[in-house]
Amino acid sequence: MATEVYRESFERRTKTVRYLRFLEGLADTQVGPIYLGMWGALAFFSYLLCVFITAIGFGEQVGYNPIRFLRELPVLTLYPPPPSAGLRMAPLQEGGYWQLATLFLSLTLVFWTIRIWTRAVANGLRPMVPIAFSAALFLYAAIYIIHPIWVNSWNEAPPHGLRGILLWTNHFSVKYGNFYYNPFHMVSIFGLLGSTLILAMHGATILATLAYGAHREIDEIEKSDEGTHRAQLLWRWVMGFNATAYSIHQWALGFATLTAVAGAIGVLLSGPVEPDWFQWACRADIVSGLQKACVP
Amino acid sequence: MSIENNPAPPGAVAVYDERQRTILRGELAGLVAMTVLALGGVIALSMALADWRGFQGWRADSTYNYAGVQQINFVEYLNRQKQAIAQPSVEALQAYNVWQQKNPQTVNVQVLTQYLGPQYNTTAKVFEYMSKYFTPGVGQSCEYCHNLENFAAYDKPQKTVAKAMLIMQFELQTKWIDSIPRPEGQPLYQLQCATCHYGKAQFWNTDQKNVPTIENLAMFGIAGGGNPTQYDMKHYGITLNGKPPASYEIVDDKLLAARPDAKGEVNYFQVTATKDTPPGLNDTYRNQAAMYHMNTALAVGCDFCHYGGYFKSYVLQDGTFKWPKSQARHMLGMVQDIAINWFPQMPKADPTRGDLAQPNCWMCHRGHVVPPGAYTPGEGEVPQKVSDPQIKPLVDLPVPAPKLPPQ
Repeated sequence: MATEVYRESFERRTKTVRYLRFLEGLADTQVGPIYLGMWGALAFFSYLLCVFITAIGFGEQVGYNPIRFLRELPVLTLYPPPPSAGLRMAPLQEGGYWQLATLFLSLTLVFWTIRIWTRAVANGLRPMVPIAFSAALFLYAAIYIIHPIWVNSWNEAPPHGLRGILLWTNHFSVKYGNFYYNPFHMVSIFGLLGSTLILAMHGATILATLAYGAHREIDEIEKSDEGTHRAQLLWRWVMGFNATAYSIHQWALGFATLTAVAGAIGVLLSGPVEPDWFQWACRADIVSGLQKACVP
Repeated sequence: MSIENNPAPPGAVAVYDERQRTILRGELAGLVAMTVLALGGVIALSMALADWRGFQGWRADSTYNYAGVQQINFVEYLNRQKQAIAQPSVEALQAYNVWQQKNPQTVNVQVLTQYLGPQYNTTAKVFEYMSKYFTPGVGQSCEYCHNLENFAAYDKPQKTVAKAMLIMQFELQTKWIDSIPRPEGQPLYQLQCATCHYGKAQFWNTDQKNVPTIENLAMFGIAGGGNPTQYDMKHYGITLNGKPPASYEIVDDKLLAARPDAKGEVNYFQVTATKDTPPGLNDTYRNQAAMYHMNTALAVGCDFCHYGGYFKSYVLQDGTFKWPKSQARHMLGMVQDIAINWFPQMPKADPTRGDLAQPNCWMCHRGHVVPPGAYTPGEGEVPQKVSDPQIKPLVDLPVPAPKLPPQ
């Protein structure tokens, strides 16, 4: 079989391959070779610095006591500078740690994206994965960098920490008058639910047609009465139309990127453009039955 | 090259498919295992957080009701705390009998007659009030404040403190409690010693308050989710007398500084943004800390006061007015008044004791909507506003215009 032949020749070319048999049920058992390269090394060291700075910041908060560190890890938080600091560099304990950690976290994400891009090109692939990843990167940048710079305060960015990020989500929504009424948040949720639905449909369809060899896509795709053929027939029966083996992945990518991009736009418009989304919804007259809570 | 021209070797497809089925079974097993692990992790984390705080659920012991009706009274509260109700001692009763026979009319009683009326001119009537409210309220017999040979004397500093506290109680009642916005039919309760003291002369002190143990955090109000660190305080911008307090307090410097504007509007917490709102989320964080404190202190959820769709609103989607939000706003004014005007000038029985605790919601509410220590007054127990109180407020703190249902 074509894929088997390719694998064997590939394995002969490398000496760094390991097999982890316990992964058999979950993933390909082959581990390695890994390509590091300049961008990989930069991403790795940048992330290491980010983790190190965060650990120092957390450590200071618990007096470098390992027991307290473990116990309070879920609530330990590296805060951005106070509002009075604006966009200036703050002292380490008053947001400076956060600024450094965020700088290196941002660099890590940029380096990682470049790394995926260069590897995709080197592999002769279209750079769809780094493009998809940039959607998430855009959401990250909107939340951590663009919005704070636009409103002139790092204080609007989320802190680093398990509880901190959850609190930020709540507080950002409360400050801007309930994010559920932000239309871009609505579209983002649409994308989130849509991509989840499409992923579930696709995954379930492929697994359902296993007996007909749908996992051997290239081989059986041209053959009548095989897995892909039946999968497409199933959805045509159920919905009246079907995606193709190619277009389903376009749908999935589209919905998934929509989640991040719409979310980012929603964050960027909050504050400078619309400070109170509930009142926006009142003006847009989409709060049917809730008008009594609108401020005239 | 089509597959028909190059068929797979005999049996190869079956072997390949069997391998794929194995993988599928492994994936399903992995999925189940991950779900169990994730759920277990969430449960373990919740239990760990719960252990830290002695958390029993927001409404564990709640008197959750919108009618403002007291669910348990002071006696029941003490029973639940396994705390005995104080009575006057035998010596005190004997001394009182002697004093009463010698002085059937009061000697130098000022505050009770001034606020409650001239019927408190008899020693028996004053004794009735004292043994009904003072003794159980502060958990002490008469001799804690009084010289048993001369009940009128001021030779114990505790009596000076008690007198000042009584004036504060009546002043707070007439200024804040009597003017609380409330729907028709909701009962109006009174303050008494027990409303704050709950049977203890010193119900907390500054030393206790500044040690953020689990018990103290529960008592003084915490912002939910583990011990606050000094980093939390710096981040929220919470300061008390210019320094970050060791535990979350509802009263901080910013809250103390909040005043009604010319229209009587007061924004204790700037939360929902407008076009002019300065950037930063610290005020929102700070507000949330205070809100968690109220959750704990009254054992209610957010929707007790708020319309969850829009926290800023006083009106539910069906037009129902949220009285508790209006009342909480009013009560914050009273907390300010206590912190600014009363505690700083309160005499101290023991000068080495340090500052008095900052007032907060827990001080009176103790996990109930209507404080168990509040009471329904009997005849002649309702204080009247007096024109010339013996202790005057340090700052003329205006009462904000009450938030009332739209007409």
